[in-house]
Amino acid sequence: MSNHALEQATASSGQRSTDAESTAAVRLERVTHEYGSSGDRAVTALRNVSVTVQTGEIVGLEGPSGSGKSTILHAVTGLLVPIDGTVELLGTDLTGLSDRKRTRLRRQHIGIVFQRFHLLPSLSARANVALPLVQAGVPTATRRERAETLLERVGLADRTGHLPGELSGGERQRVAIARALVTDPDVIVADEPTGELDTATGADVLDLLTDIGRNRAVLVASHDDATLSVADRVVGLRDGRVVTDGR
Amino acid sequence: MDGWSRMGGDDEFDVSSGGTRRARWRGLVGISVIRLWKRMVTTRSGRLVATIGAVALTIALLVVVTGIALGLADGGAVADDDADVRIAPEESATLSAVDGVEGPRLGATNDRAETIRAEDGVAHASPVLVEPVQLESTDGDPRTLLLVGVVPDDEPRTVGGLSTESLESGGPRDADDSSDGPPAGEIVLSATAADRLEADAEETLTVTGPHRSDERPAPSFTASAVETAGDDDLETPIALVHLRDLQTVAGADGGQLADHVLIWGDADAATAAAAEAYPDATVQATDGTDPSALFGDGLAFATSLLALIVGVTICASFVATTAGMTVNEDRRTLAVLESVGYPTHSRLTIIAVSTLLTTLCGALLGIILGVGGIHALNTVASATVAPGAVAAVHPVFVPYAIVVALVSGLVAVPYPLAVAARTSVLAEVGR
Repeated sequence: MSNHALEQATASSGQRSTDAESTAAVRLERVTHEYGSSGDRAVTALRNVSVTVQTGEIVGLEGPSGSGKSTILHAVTGLLVPIDGTVELLGTDLTGLSDRKRTRLRRQHIGIVFQRFHLLPSLSARANVALPLVQAGVPTATRRERAETLLERVGLADRTGHLPGELSGGERQRVAIARALVTDPDVIVADEPTGELDTATGADVLDLLTDIGRNRAVLVASHDDATLSVADRVVGLRDGRVVTDGR
Repeated sequence: MDGWSRMGGDDEFDVSSGGTRRARWRGLVGISVIRLWKRMVTTRSGRLVATIGAVALTIALLVVVTGIALGLADGGAVADDDADVRIAPEESATLSAVDGVEGPRLGATNDRAETIRAEDGVAHASPVLVEPVQLESTDGDPRTLLLVGVVPDDEPRTVGGLSTESLESGGPRDADDSSDGPPAGEIVLSATAADRLEADAEETLTVTGPHRSDERPAPSFTASAVETAGDDDLETPIALVHLRDLQTVAGADGGQLADHVLIWGDADAATAAAAEAYPDATVQATDGTDPSALFGDGLAFATSLLALIVGVTICASFVATTAGMTVNEDRRTLAVLESVGYPTHSRLTIIAVSTLLTTLCGALLGIILGVGGIHALNTVASATVAPGAVAAVHPVFVPYAIVVALVSGLVAVPYPLAVAARTSVLAEVGR
């Protein structure tokens, strides 16, 4: 069974969209978000943003620092709940769920790739990749097998026992991508995935992202034109608003 | 993308099926253990070493102080002997100092000690009678001493913290059933007893007070030696005499009474012989110290209780502080765990397990240090101020120290958990 069906996981939430035609992998509808306390010191990060990502589509988020790229990614992953609007993941509105349910949906349906990899330094590459499976209660042998399979697929079969400190930047990002894929998620979210890598290594990582995006929804935020060039569509952001949508 | 396999559509994995709570718990504990181990071995975390070291030193201090308290409680000077087995009357109270209340005594001890002495594997057996007796020297005032009556043999034995070496063995009233013949009249004084009586070696001491009888001449003793007694010598004026002499003075000769019987030799053989001679008495090997004695001695109990409170307080304070600082440095790890789908209770479980494991490691090291410290203390004390051990070790110290450390860890754990719970995932992963 693919992990792309959210109905079973959220059947009790009653939050599913009733519009069958609109079950995009990710749908942000009129999302507004502010950081800081309300009043003069509040900073508006997103204003009335609507973005849709279909399965099999790679969407790039482009814009200067502070334009709202990372806020969109955090809203999609459920790490952040916007003050207004809806964020649907496979038809389920994340803004109406409890922290616990959002955490479970994130574990089951979303893989995150960070700019700075964010691997746990004291765990081996294999243990880092298997990390999401521990919380899922997957038995040790299955976790190990799954992690080794993914490390082999990202070209790190001979680095499974290495600590992150013993790997190059490109290798660490490939471990991070393997970790993002380990639960076979429906959506991959990547925040500046090549920001810490040299051009050649960055190109390798982009190839990998393009490859895994074939049957998933991929949302990539970046300043970098080369990174955005792999996207099927680029959404331009300025001051928390969508200014272009290359549909 | 040289060498990279394609990530095709055959990569299906259903994460929501087949997971078990047991596997999750094992995994969470495993992550905690591996993180600690790698930190210790690979990154040599100074804070981790400091935490384990502080817990170890606190626990070591607790073990040493409790060992001293146990040494204090272990009978004092009267029970300071080197015998292998002791026979005591059932329900007997701990013998206390000069003004102690007299407890039940064993009867026919001279005969039965003789029988025990004849058993294979038994080197020597002696009834021990303890009696407070008033003595006076030629020039001094009458003073009450704790006289300990014993049957000496050719080997020097320690009874009541004093050596029997200066008591002549094999006299007509020793080691047999005879109550005839002249009294041996020898007495070995502890330094405190000699001070109180203002007596030196060769001094003649006469029995006075309630033990003096008008029907017979006053018994007297000649000091054959003045020795430093056990660790209790500053308080207890104690003296060794021949058993028969003391039984005569105390009026215990008819019933051959004694407070207990000490046996030297092979512990198993001695225990068997003792059980046969006194089936209803308490027979115990004296190489082990009974920790329950702590509860019967006010000073020892207070000392060990104080050590426990101080130990838990210091241990918990240090663990809380260092674990809180460690968690503060670990915020990014917690944020990453949240981003990959670890709910709050799982993240806090990892912190709690890590904290308790660190405390446990410290406790185990502390037990080793503490037992080593007790041996070192005894060695130094024996070489300087005391004739024997001043602190005792007991196997129950191991679970005791572990439980104390774990309690300290549990007291300390809310602080790192509070620090962990305040972690903002967006602030950490956004950096």
